[in-house]
Amino acid sequence: MPVAYGVIAILVVLGVAALLMYNSLVGKRNQVSNIFGTMDAMLKKRWDLVPNLTAAVKGYMTHERQVLEQVTAMRSQIRPEARGMDEKVAFDNQVSKAFGQVFLAVEAYPQLKASDHFLHLQRTLVELEEQISAARRAFNASVTDYNNAVEMFPTNVMASLFGFQRKTLFEIQDPQRQAPSVSGPLR
Amino acid sequence: MKTMDQLREFYQTELLPDLRALEDKRKAAVKQLLIVGGAALAIALLLLVLLVRAGPVGFILVAVLLIGAGVLGTRMTRGYRSVFKVTVIARLVRFIDENLCYSPDQGIPKSVFQTADLYKQHIDRYRSEDQVTGKVGATEIAFSEVHAEYKTKDNKGHTDWHTIFRGILFAGDFNKAFRGKTVVLPDMAERLLGSLGQKLQSWTPGRDDLIKLEDPEFEREFVVYSTDQIEARYILSTSLMERILQFKRKTGKRIYLSFVGSKVFVAIPYTKNLFEPRLFSTLLDLGPIAQYFEDLQVAVGIVDDMNLNTRIWSKS
Repeated sequence: MPVAYGVIAILVVLGVAALLMYNSLVGKRNQVSNIFGTMDAMLKKRWDLVPNLTAAVKGYMTHERQVLEQVTAMRSQIRPEARGMDEKVAFDNQVSKAFGQVFLAVEAYPQLKASDHFLHLQRTLVELEEQISAARRAFNASVTDYNNAVEMFPTNVMASLFGFQRKTLFEIQDPQRQAPSVSGPLR
Repeated sequence: MKTMDQLREFYQTELLPDLRALEDKRKAAVKQLLIVGGAALAIALLLLVLLVRAGPVGFILVAVLLIGAGVLGTRMTRGYRSVFKVTVIARLVRFIDENLCYSPDQGIPKSVFQTADLYKQHIDRYRSEDQVTGKVGATEIAFSEVHAEYKTKDNKGHTDWHTIFRGILFAGDFNKAFRGKTVVLPDMAERLLGSLGQKLQSWTPGRDDLIKLEDPEFEREFVVYSTDQIEARYILSTSLMERILQFKRKTGKRIYLSFVGSKVFVAIPYTKNLFEPRLFSTLLDLGPIAQYFEDLQVAVGIVDDMNLNTRIWSKS
C-alpha cells in the first residue's frame, strides 16, 4: 500500500511540474507575440510617415528623383496583407534605408532642412526610431528567453512533445551594419 | 561643468574674504562651546562627588545637566551653521550654475521619495534638508540630502532605528516621455548566484517584470524591473546603460535609479552628514571647500552624465 501512495505522489509531482513547464512555455511564446505586435504597430507608424516625407521634400529634391521614386515605390509595396514576420522585417529594412538616403540628401538643401515641417518630421522619425529600436531589443530578449526554454532541459522535453518551435531573432540586414558613407553629399 | 582650477580661483577671489569673517565667527562659537562644555563638565563632576550618596537621584541630575549643556551647545552653534550655509554652500551652488537655488532648511518631500519607489521598506522617520533646485540647460532638477529610517522593537520594548537610505536624492526631468515605471537597482543576487540569482530576481515580491538587458556588464551591476518591457528599453538605451555604468564607476557607490512620470530619480548613498560645517577645523583651507564642491558637482553633474539635455526626442 505505501508503495502505491509513493507512486501516486511521484506522479502528482511530475504532473504538476509538467503543467508548470507547459504554462511557462506558453507564457513565453505569448510574450514574444505580444512584443512583436507592439513592434509591428510602431513599424506601421513609421511607414505612415512615408507620404508625409515625400510631400515635404517634393518641391526641393527635383534631382533626387531616384530617392523619391524609391520611397513612393516602397510605400506601394507595403500591403496590409503582408502579414509574415520575415516580410515585415524586410520592408522595415527597406524603409530604414530609404529614410537614410533622404536624410543624407537633405544636407544639400539648407532651406528644406530648416523648414518647420521637415524638422517636425525628422523629430518624429528620430522618436520612432528610438522606440522601434527598443521594441526590437525587447523582441530579441523575449525570443531568447523563449528559445532557451525550448532548448534547455527539462523544458525542452515539453517543448518537443507539444511542438514548440525555435523562433528567429530580429536581425539588422548587412547593409545597415556598415557605417553610413558621408562622402556622397560632400562630393 | 566647473573645474578644480576654476574653483581655486573662485575661492581666492570671492570666497576667501568672507571666509575670513566667518572664521572669526567659528572661533567665537568654538570658544563659547568650550566654556559651556567645560563649565557643565566641572559642575557635573562636582555634583557627582557631592551627591555620591544620593544614589540614582544624583546620577539623574548629572544626566539632565549634561543633556541641557548639549542642547545649549547645539543652539549656540545653530547661528554659525546657518551663516556658514549661506556664505559657503549657497555660493558654491551658484558658482556651479547660477540658475540653481539653494535652500538649507528645505528638502525633497517624503511623497517624492516614495514616488521614486527605490526602496520597498516602510518609512517611520524621514528627514530632508539642503535642497538645490533649478534648471541646468533644458533640464529641471532638484536634489537634497535625505535620511529615511524604519524602526523595530525588541521583546523588551526597546526601539531601534535602521537607515533605509541616507545620502543625496536627485530628481530630474527625463529627456524622453514615458508612462510606466522602471527601476534600476544594484545587483546582488546575480553577481553571487549567476543565473539562479536571476531566476530569484524574477520572483522578487512587490517588483514589476524583470527586464533582461543585452549589456552583460550592466546586467552584472544592476537589476532592472519595469511595468513595460519595451518602455524600459526605450528609456535604457545602450548609450544610457553605458553612461549609468560610468557614473557608478565615477562615484564608486551603490547607486539606485528609477524612471517614473517622465522623471529620473537617482539615489546616491553617503554615510556622512553632507554640507555641514566642521566646527573644529579651520575654514581657511581649500580642502573641505573642495569636498563640498565635489559632493555638489556629483549631483549637478548627473544632467551631463546622463545626457539629459539632449532633446532630440518627442519631449522638448
